[in-house]
Amino acid sequence: MPEQPENRIERIVEDLLHGRRLRLRAGDAEEKQAIIAAARLAAARSGPQRMSPAFRRRLAQILDSSPREPRLTRRAALVAGLGVAAGAVAGGIVGRQLASSPAPLPLSASSPVVPRNGRWTDVGALADFSEGQGKLVRAGAVGAFVFRRGETVTAVSSMCSHLPCELWWERGSSLLECPCHPVSFTSDGKPSSPSYTLPALNEVKVRVSAAGRVEVLGT
Amino acid sequence: MTLDPRSPSDSSASSDDSGEVVELPNATRATDIALDELELVYAFIYARVGNRADAEDLTQQVAMKAIPRLRQGAPASAIRGYLFATARSVLGAFWSTRLGLSQAELHEDLALAVPQGPPSDESTERARRILAGLSDNYRRVLELRFLHGYSLKEVAAEMRSTVGAVKVMQLRALRAAAKVDPDA
Repeated sequence: MPEQPENRIERIVEDLLHGRRLRLRAGDAEEKQAIIAAARLAAARSGPQRMSPAFRRRLAQILDSSPREPRLTRRAALVAGLGVAAGAVAGGIVGRQLASSPAPLPLSASSPVVPRNGRWTDVGALADFSEGQGKLVRAGAVGAFVFRRGETVTAVSSMCSHLPCELWWERGSSLLECPCHPVSFTSDGKPSSPSYTLPALNEVKVRVSAAGRVEVLGT
Repeated sequence: MTLDPRSPSDSSASSDDSGEVVELPNATRATDIALDELELVYAFIYARVGNRADAEDLTQQVAMKAIPRLRQGAPASAIRGYLFATARSVLGAFWSTRLGLSQAELHEDLALAVPQGPPSDESTERARRILAGLSDNYRRVLELRFLHGYSLKEVAAEMRSTVGAVKVMQLRALRAAAKVDPDA
C-alpha cells in the first residue's frame, strides 16, 4: 500500500527537525511545495546560520588548491559539475564557458548554438511557461532562457556574451541581468545597455512538439 | 604558503629590511574575500534546505563553480552576484534531482534578491510572515512543530487532538504555507 502523504511529510519533517539531510523518495515530488515550505520553516527555527569552522577550512583548502591557470582542466570542470559532455571539451560550447579572458569570444554574435552530437531535450510542457517571462532551463551542457509568446517559443543562451556568467531573469524590468557586470539583455538577446557594446546572446534552438512539450537542442 | 607579517595589505609585492623585493602571495587574500562571500551563500542555501549537511554540499558546489571567476581578482560585489546566480542554479538542480523532476517542472522558488550584508534574520522574519498568513489552526501546528520543536505527540496534547489528526493538519498547513510564501 502506498505511503500516505501525511506520513511521508512527517518523516521528512522529523529528519529536518533533527538536523538530518533531506531524504526524499519516489512519490515525494507530489508534495514538493509542502517539502520546500518545511525546509524553510526548519531553517527559520535555527536562525541565521554560519559555516562551521571545519567546513570553512575545507572550503579554504579547495579554493587555495585550485589550478592557477586561467582555464579549468577537464577534470576540474567535471568535479565542479559544469556539465561537461563526455569528450566535448576542446573548443565548442564548453571552451566558451570556461574562457576567462575578457576578449571577444570566438562565436559570432547571436549565432545559434548547435552542439556536436546535439539532441532535443524535453524541458517541460508549454503550459509550464508563462507568457513573456524568461524561464531558465538546461539541456545537458546548454543553459537557456525560454520565452513563450502564445503557442510559440524562443530561446537564448543563459550565459552572458561578455564573461562566462549565468544571467538571471529580472521580472521587474523584463530583462536578463548579468551578475558580473552592470549589463542586461532583452528577451530576444539584444544588449539593453548603451554603455557596453556587446554581442547579442546566442540563439538556442527550441521547438514545441506535437504533444505540446517544449524541447531545446542541447547535449 | 606564508604571509609576510610586516605587510598585511594586499599589494602584490613588498620590501623586507634588506631592500629586497619579496613576492607576497595575494591568493590568500582572494580566498578570504571569497570565504566571506560564501558565508552569505551558505546562509542563503541553509535557509532553503533546512539542514547543515545539504547546505555544506551545495555551498561547496557553488565554491567550485566560482573558482575560475575568483581568480580574476574581481571586486567583492561582482563576485557576490555571480555566486548567488550560481547558488540559484545549484539549488534548482538539487531540488530537481531530489524530487526526481525536471527543472522545468519545479515552481520557481528561488528568491532573486542578493543579500547585501552579513547573515541576517531573514529566514525567521520570512517564517513569521508566512505563518501570519495562515488560519489559526494551521499556524499553531507549524509554530509548535517548527519554531518550538514540539514532537507530534506534544502538539497533539497541546491542541487536544490526536497524533493522526495533527499529522494531516501538518501536511495541509505546509501546503497552505507554500501558497502564502511569495518566493515558494
